[in-house]
Amino acid sequence: MVKETYLHEKHLALGARMVDFAGWHMPVQYKSIIEEHKNVRENIGLFDVSHMGEVFVIGKDSQEFLNKIVPQDISKLTEGKAVYCQLTNKNGGLIDDLIIYKLKNETYLIICNASRVDEDINWMSLNQKGYNINLDNQSHNLSLLAVQGPKAIDLMHKLGYTANQDSFTIIEANLMNIPMYISRTGYTGEDGFELLVINEYAEYLWDKLLEEGKEFGIMPIGLGARDTLRLEAALPLYGNDLDENTTPIEASLTWSVPKDKFEDYNGKKVITEQLQNGTEKKLVGILMLDKSIARHGYEVYYKGEKVGIITSGGISPMLDKNIAMAYVKNIKEICTGAIIQVMIREKLHDAEVVKRPFIEKRNRIKIRR
Amino acid sequence: MSITEKILCSKSHEYLLEDDGNYIVGLTDYAVEQLGDIVFVELPEVGTEFNKGETFGTIESVKAASEIYMPVSGKVVEINEAIADTPEILNEDCYEKGWLIKIERTGEDNELNDLLEYEDYKEELE
Repeated sequence: MVKETYLHEKHLALGARMVDFAGWHMPVQYKSIIEEHKNVRENIGLFDVSHMGEVFVIGKDSQEFLNKIVPQDISKLTEGKAVYCQLTNKNGGLIDDLIIYKLKNETYLIICNASRVDEDINWMSLNQKGYNINLDNQSHNLSLLAVQGPKAIDLMHKLGYTANQDSFTIIEANLMNIPMYISRTGYTGEDGFELLVINEYAEYLWDKLLEEGKEFGIMPIGLGARDTLRLEAALPLYGNDLDENTTPIEASLTWSVPKDKFEDYNGKKVITEQLQNGTEKKLVGILMLDKSIARHGYEVYYKGEKVGIITSGGISPMLDKNIAMAYVKNIKEICTGAIIQVMIREKLHDAEVVKRPFIEKRNRIKIRR
Repeated sequence: MSITEKILCSKSHEYLLEDDGNYIVGLTDYAVEQLGDIVFVELPEVGTEFNKGETFGTIESVKAASEIYMPVSGKVVEINEAIADTPEILNEDCYEKGWLIKIERTGEDNELNDLLEYEDYKEELE
């Protein structure tokens, strides 16, 4: 049975093309993926991401429990802060990637991938023994709307938002008399907010955001542009770039893994070993040198030898070039500037290894080399 | 007579249009609409021969790569050069500006029997 968010009718009324995604009937595009993508970079976009999972971890041992299940140091997370984390298995492989928010002492919110909620809950339950905590999966009761883009802040101000939040923080607030959590996070590489409300408020909030956002050029954005936006920002996608056989170190998420965490956690042995001695494979950014497009699963070659596989690939509407991410053999020759080849329909196409993200944070139309 | 009254369509959404003894092959408006933004088209070289149903090229939309099939057997006599630089013309107009290849038919006439007139093709989609 395919699930529908509380905004399903709104998507249909807007003429969205709908697809099944992770068990949900979701809008893939309203108008044009490219147009929607550019609008998020230049103005503002509204996303229904209610399919994502929300799990509350509450109780005396919640900090210790979270410290057991992710490589990140949850004891350093202060109230109102958020941290990008990975749920790792005993081998250091990724069960999911998630954001953990500390709402207050002994109360945390986990936002995870729609496709992984069941596995996450299952894994967390298996690890729960001995910890005085309660896992409360509220995914079915909550709707999540993301407002993303350089003008997102202007719309928020217009709606009465006065908080001065840093990136990766969360507050409990009332916006237009709607109680919600507001976090300054997103999955686009742009500044923006994610608004978490109980389902009953979703439609009203959606309508208000679209209406009040008109003067800032707001557009509803589908999953198609969400994917191209996150690729351009080189944010990994679970199932494409991340899986249970890949560690955060192999996934080039080393920046997010503390080297000095004292507590034991699932996969610590493997991850610590990899932090010291390196990994067999690494994730790199790729820029296609012709007009061909690398897609998930295509093979990567270096000097005639197969060295890896594309995990995500597509167009970069801002660069007007085609980009990809790939796991390649971790050898020093395959570094930024190296020329590799991607096998596309039985032909090799030249590509260059480039730095990620593919677009600059400030000036988003230049390539970092 | 509008163009859609002159074309024959395959169930895999290619159309065939007679043109001065040769035939133009393209993608129907329904296919183009379904694909969304088209960003790259790979076409065969002039002179290549294909049987009916064979893949003769690839269309890349933002989302995915899709193969395009020959609605009838034929030899490529011309390709739409404009497509290489401006694939978006397919989204704008798939019949006049956005045609794909021109072929000389090499198969039997009964190959045409599997193709549908536009009205019937549209009906099949519903």
